[in-house]
Amino acid sequence: MSIMRLTGLAVALVVSLLFAVFVGDQGPWYFAWVVGTVMIILIAGAGAILLDAQDEQASEREI
Amino acid sequence: MDSYAILKLLWAAILGILFIGLGVMVGMDMGVGTLLRFVGRNDGERRTALNIIGPHWDGNQVWFILGGGAIFAAFPTLYATSFSVFYVVMILLLFSMILRPVAFEYRSKADSRHWRASWDVAFLVSGALPMFIYGAAFGNVLEGVGYHFGWTGQYYQDESFLSYLVNPFAILCGLMSVALSVYQGGVMLMLRSEEPIHGRARRYAMRGGIAAAILFATGGVWISRLNGFRLTDADPGMPANPIQGQHVTVSAGGWLENFQAHPALWLIPLLGVACMLFGTLMVRADRPVLAWWTGVGSWIGTIGTVGTAMFPFLMPSATTPDQSLTIWNSTASAYGLACMLVVAAIFVPIILSYTSWCYYVMRGKVRTADVIHDTHSY
Amino acid sequence: MELINPGVVDLSRFQFALTALYHFMFVPLTLGLTFMLAAMETVYVVTGRQIYKDMAQFWGKLFGINFAIGVATGITMEFEFGTNWSMYSRFFGDMFGTPLAIEGLMAFFMESTFVGLMFFGWDRLSRPAHLAVTYLVALGSNLSALWILVANASMNMPEGAHFDPDTMRMQFDSVVKVIFNPDAQAKFVHTSVAGYISAAMFVMGISAFYILRGQHKAFAARSFRMAALFGIISTVAVITLGDVLGRLDYEHQPTKIAAIEGLWHTSKPPFEPWLAFALPDDAKQENHLEIGVPFVLTPLVAHSFDTPITGMTELEEQAGPRIVSGIQALSALRRYGQGHDPADLAQFRAHEADMGFGFLAMRHAPGQDVTAISAAEMDSVVRQTEPDILPNVFVTFWSFRIMVFLSLWFFAVFALSAYVSLKNRLERNRLLLKLCMWSIPLPILATEFGWITAEAGRQPWTVFNRLPTFLSASSHSVGYMIFSLAGFALLYSAFIAAELFLMFKYARLGPDHGAHGAHGSHLTVAHDRKDAFSIVSSLSS
Repeated sequence: MSIMRLTGLAVALVVSLLFAVFVGDQGPWYFAWVVGTVMIILIAGAGAILLDAQDEQASEREI
Repeated sequence: MDSYAILKLLWAAILGILFIGLGVMVGMDMGVGTLLRFVGRNDGERRTALNIIGPHWDGNQVWFILGGGAIFAAFPTLYATSFSVFYVVMILLLFSMILRPVAFEYRSKADSRHWRASWDVAFLVSGALPMFIYGAAFGNVLEGVGYHFGWTGQYYQDESFLSYLVNPFAILCGLMSVALSVYQGGVMLMLRSEEPIHGRARRYAMRGGIAAAILFATGGVWISRLNGFRLTDADPGMPANPIQGQHVTVSAGGWLENFQAHPALWLIPLLGVACMLFGTLMVRADRPVLAWWTGVGSWIGTIGTVGTAMFPFLMPSATTPDQSLTIWNSTASAYGLACMLVVAAIFVPIILSYTSWCYYVMRGKVRTADVIHDTHSY
Repeated sequence: MELINPGVVDLSRFQFALTALYHFMFVPLTLGLTFMLAAMETVYVVTGRQIYKDMAQFWGKLFGINFAIGVATGITMEFEFGTNWSMYSRFFGDMFGTPLAIEGLMAFFMESTFVGLMFFGWDRLSRPAHLAVTYLVALGSNLSALWILVANASMNMPEGAHFDPDTMRMQFDSVVKVIFNPDAQAKFVHTSVAGYISAAMFVMGISAFYILRGQHKAFAARSFRMAALFGIISTVAVITLGDVLGRLDYEHQPTKIAAIEGLWHTSKPPFEPWLAFALPDDAKQENHLEIGVPFVLTPLVAHSFDTPITGMTELEEQAGPRIVSGIQALSALRRYGQGHDPADLAQFRAHEADMGFGFLAMRHAPGQDVTAISAAEMDSVVRQTEPDILPNVFVTFWSFRIMVFLSLWFFAVFALSAYVSLKNRLERNRLLLKLCMWSIPLPILATEFGWITAEAGRQPWTVFNRLPTFLSASSHSVGYMIFSLAGFALLYSAFIAAELFLMFKYARLGPDHGAHGAHGSHLTVAHDRKDAFSIVSSLSS
């Protein structure tokens, strides 16, 4: 089972590498969009989780 | 036959499949829209009917978009000419098609009775009218349309739009298309609803099936008296340019020539009528699954009959027959057709698999009590 | 050869602009809000906190109200090329139709099928599966934009197609060139990210409204912060890509860039000012009331300090020889169509690159027939055609400026909001919150003006340097056009009224409405956390 998963991951990795090489070469802006969008989502999400942490800290201090 | 001609033929076949898919899937949703006020006597029942196609209407409507896109990409000259020639009718079709998504999304989002009643009327109009126009367009095309091309390829219109609107044969074809959609919509409602919607839907589906069979047979007799077009010389691999390179003759009953040349083709219209009648019997016997698939057969028979009769014409010109649009002279370039074929070969299987997955996830009966209490429902 | 009634061409243009601009009031929100929903749901799946599910569902509801009209009005666009731009569709459809059809197959189908599951599948799908569905909706709507902009880029910068005298149209010859057209790339990212800004401002503005009223505090604070971060990065990206687009126009559409900058005469680097204000006068070919910033124009447009930028007067002069050559190309083409003489074909090939300018001269040729132009008339026809190569400078100049000034405003608002939100000091900055609220419609306005800049600046062509707009339309009667325009106006007004009614209704009701209360208290958080761990572990095992 784990070998299956590993091969799956390896295939996904190779495909995304090929995608990155090809699109990064032919269409740098398309590549930038993919990377940028993921980054924007992650940063926005991280900001929200940070707020959770800030809230928790604040409520702990009140106690 | 060279490879370009084969590509053209393949795309004509795909166009046929798209027309059938559009008839079945969009027709089914349109039928539900048309029947909405008849099968649902109160708001809860109407919402139930809507939610039966709720998760799928959007995906189904894509058949319509896809039909337009495929005609644009694979038959650009047909797209450019037919949509302009039928301008007023096309605009009416557009108005009703854009009313639908909004009606679905908005109808149940406000509680006022007037609000919901207005959207119900929008469902009726946007269900019946597009199917009527869909059928009527086939009727008009069969009769021949008035246009010619200038030397730059600009088309000129030779007839008024009124001749397409007030045309008895086209009206017959339009009504037939509405009847088929009512049948398919009724069967879909039967599949996923309980009493009392189930019983009402069954009655309307039966009426739709019988009406379609009668109208189809009448149309068949009528067509034998209509002017048919015949291509006398054209090279299937010709450059796709309607301005020159072909000769066309016109004769009464000409649309039956393909059937007379190959009598086995009579099986196609026969399949249509047989499916309409058998389907009606299945509805009567309360076998909606079988009836649904028989409805697909009805559409195959109907579109197949029109395609066989007209082959290789797509939209004949009544005023300048030599510039009629055929499969050979109105397609995209060989490169474009091949390119679209590859794209379709990749994406159609993907689409089919995720569409069926969606149906699988959303399977099961829709109950009025659940619909009223679910905040996500239409 | 009779030309289409110019009134009908104008009405067709007006109708297309009306329907496209209207469609684009809803699309940007779809492009961005889907990814914001995905971001919220991602946080939900990772942390398991109910409040993020409430966020995804509430903003999802507003998204749904908006999405429906976006889809509905998009249908119009796909069919309008055929109903109103017949000659364009025949001339360019072989290539232009392909991206539109791929859009249907690849993107629109995906978006439309999964959007149903996104709304209806909350209780039927596992959390990761539903998250995947949300991402597919987001990807689908943006891929949809990608193919539309690939098609649009081919109008602005035709690549991957050549004219074929036997079919009298542009024949498609390279799908790779079409997809990786530099204009398509930059336009797609620019537009998609502009959509992110619209969505971020929308979410931020409504959240600001709740904070101002002291409602749904935890919910609004989280939505606000995610939107502010989303917005500030997107604004930086949109400005960067705007610069890339300007650079591409400088190289490929000099008339557009000269009109954007109101540059009637070739610039004198490095002093040449960038005009922040001016009233371009198209008839007199000059500007009134210029206010400029010196030394800015040359580095901004040409990315250098010493390159002169060609002005519109000079561009007109340069077009003269191309018009003469184009007339020869077109005359040869017509003769070839009648007799198929190889000599005519050779003459056409020699002047092929300028064929579009021959079309442009048609309007001024005797009897609208370029073959009938005598040697004596040639000069006057060319003089009359030259000014036709310019777009409407006033419209291009000002739509560009409105877009740019608005983007600077977004930058300021998002930067401040992100800062204040990260410092957790939102409630004390009521003015900022009010500004956020009132800024909700501005990104939509900016994208609309962006479209006007790009497409008005493309004039007088539908296919740049190939096919003029006045030849592209369908030969309808004015009556037809009035019928369709009146219908669109009526229907679309009803839509916007219904949309605003529902938007306001649901925004006012807030996230507490319905079965899913958004309390955001730590009680629910604690309750859900155990589930979250099992989800995360099931993902990684």
